[in-house]
Amino acid sequence: MKFDRRYILPFLLIAVLLLVALFPGFFAPYGTTDRDATYQPPSSDHILGTDNMGKDIFSLLIYGARWTLMIGFASGILAILVGTSFGLLAGWRKGILDEFLMGTTDIVLILPKIPLVIILAAYLGPSPWVLILVLGLLSWESIARVVRSKVMQIRSSNYILAARCLGFSDAKIMVREILPVVFPVIVPKFVLVTAAAMISEASLAFLGLSDPMMVSWGGMISDAFTYSGFLRGMWYWWLPPALCIILGVLAITSLAFIHERGIREVVQL
Amino acid sequence: MNKAVSRKITRYSICLLIVVLLVFFLPRCMPGDPVQCLVGEDVYVTQEILDALTVKLGLDQPLYEQFEIYLQDLITGDLGYSYTRHQNVADLIWSRVPWTLLLTGVSMLIGYAFGLLAGTWTGWMSETKRSKVLTAFGVVVSCIPPYLLGLIFFSVFVYQLGWFPYKGFYETPDIFSIAYHMALPILTLALFVFARNMIIMRGSVLTEKDQLYPQFAKSLGIPQNKIIYGHIMKNAILPIVTHFAIDFGFILSGALFIEIIFSLNGLGRVMYTAILNLDYPVLSGLFLVIAIMVICANLIADVLYGIIDPRVKRGEEQ
Repeated sequence: MKFDRRYILPFLLIAVLLLVALFPGFFAPYGTTDRDATYQPPSSDHILGTDNMGKDIFSLLIYGARWTLMIGFASGILAILVGTSFGLLAGWRKGILDEFLMGTTDIVLILPKIPLVIILAAYLGPSPWVLILVLGLLSWESIARVVRSKVMQIRSSNYILAARCLGFSDAKIMVREILPVVFPVIVPKFVLVTAAAMISEASLAFLGLSDPMMVSWGGMISDAFTYSGFLRGMWYWWLPPALCIILGVLAITSLAFIHERGIREVVQL
Repeated sequence: MNKAVSRKITRYSICLLIVVLLVFFLPRCMPGDPVQCLVGEDVYVTQEILDALTVKLGLDQPLYEQFEIYLQDLITGDLGYSYTRHQNVADLIWSRVPWTLLLTGVSMLIGYAFGLLAGTWTGWMSETKRSKVLTAFGVVVSCIPPYLLGLIFFSVFVYQLGWFPYKGFYETPDIFSIAYHMALPILTLALFVFARNMIIMRGSVLTEKDQLYPQFAKSLGIPQNKIIYGHIMKNAILPIVTHFAIDFGFILSGALFIEIIFSLNGLGRVMYTAILNLDYPVLSGLFLVIAIMVICANLIADVLYGIIDPRVKRGEEQ
């Protein structure tokens, strides 16, 4: 396979974000608990100034990468696991099981996600694990559909028939023969689910539904909105995390778009 | 009534049932006193009120009897009472629903109209530079969460340029005041809807373009505009209708966030204050109402699909 040059920029961006998320202490000039005078404008000491608690905004920005990415990828992985197994089973077994699984998929698809996450987070408390669990368990339905239709396509092909004749078990055929074929369909979906989870996390944090002890980009924007960052014209407080969210989501989504060569298939399924 | 319709209706009913069960069980399964969970955490109410509520909701009785009471309340339109706001939840929500629907409806109208046209155009002219720029713009906008788009617009047009008002309506709303206050929120949401639909439509047109019938139409000497907007658009619109059902929930959530940012008097602000005060009755009621609205949108999409796609009318499998 020829390497597509359009991959370079998004990959580079994601690599930088991952690096920053893994080793925040290396890049951040201050810790998340260090405090100075509040509401400082950008200066040589504080590149992006300080927030309402006197924390260095640039350092918060760097520490924020960790949770945002973590929540995105963790819920993406969870969604992939659930969606792929649902899709594989539904496509392979057909009949009542298929009917049941696809019925469940349709129902999950209808449920309004953000209000549901809000009510769950309000009751269960704003822990990142609740967020991952809820976001992951709510966004697998499109994966299940794609996987199912792909399995339906290949289940009657000759090599599957051969594997069945050789007496391989269903589980083995699914994992060894079908999964590798389905895999290329899953990857762009994983990427899109991750991006969607990052957006949801940012939105929930904006409502104040994130752990106050945990620094995230959405939480920073929320703080700027609540503690008069707008009234004071402190654009250097809310704009950098906003740009980070947008760039992160854009980098991750564009991987899926490039992978599909054209935007149509990703968006349509 | 064919099989597909009855299957759809079963699914919507189950979905509604899940929502109702969730709203019923969440406060009752939380650790601690369920009365406190049903009232909200940050309010101070006297013990008498708590006791009265326990009796009214049957909290001292077994679960199935509680559920019966709960269902009876729901059917009579009683969503409970918010002790934080001292207001009936159903009244509160109904007084705000029209504003949210106004914002969502107008934005969707604008967004869909322009999105469909622009998507058809970019799909048809997909090789030109202008089309590529427009597509890239659409992708970028659809990657921005709606509330960030709102924040950016708010900061630029309200704080920096001062073109639009800071807050929602105070004076008695007349049509000009409403238009003045709603213009920027509607623009924000419409831009988001526009971007999403443009991308979907573009992809759909790209697929239709390669089919034989546009070429056949061309060979008959039908003018190009008529082929694009008469033949191709009609076929390419189907995925948009399918997406309408899913997108409605998404757009509605976006509208809630935009209302928070622009301080509009819709469901969004109700939700925001309810979250800040942990006002559970209001949150549960909101969730129920939003879920019902989304299910209705799904029903509308199904009906629309039936009107547009003759195959569905004949009861064929899609």
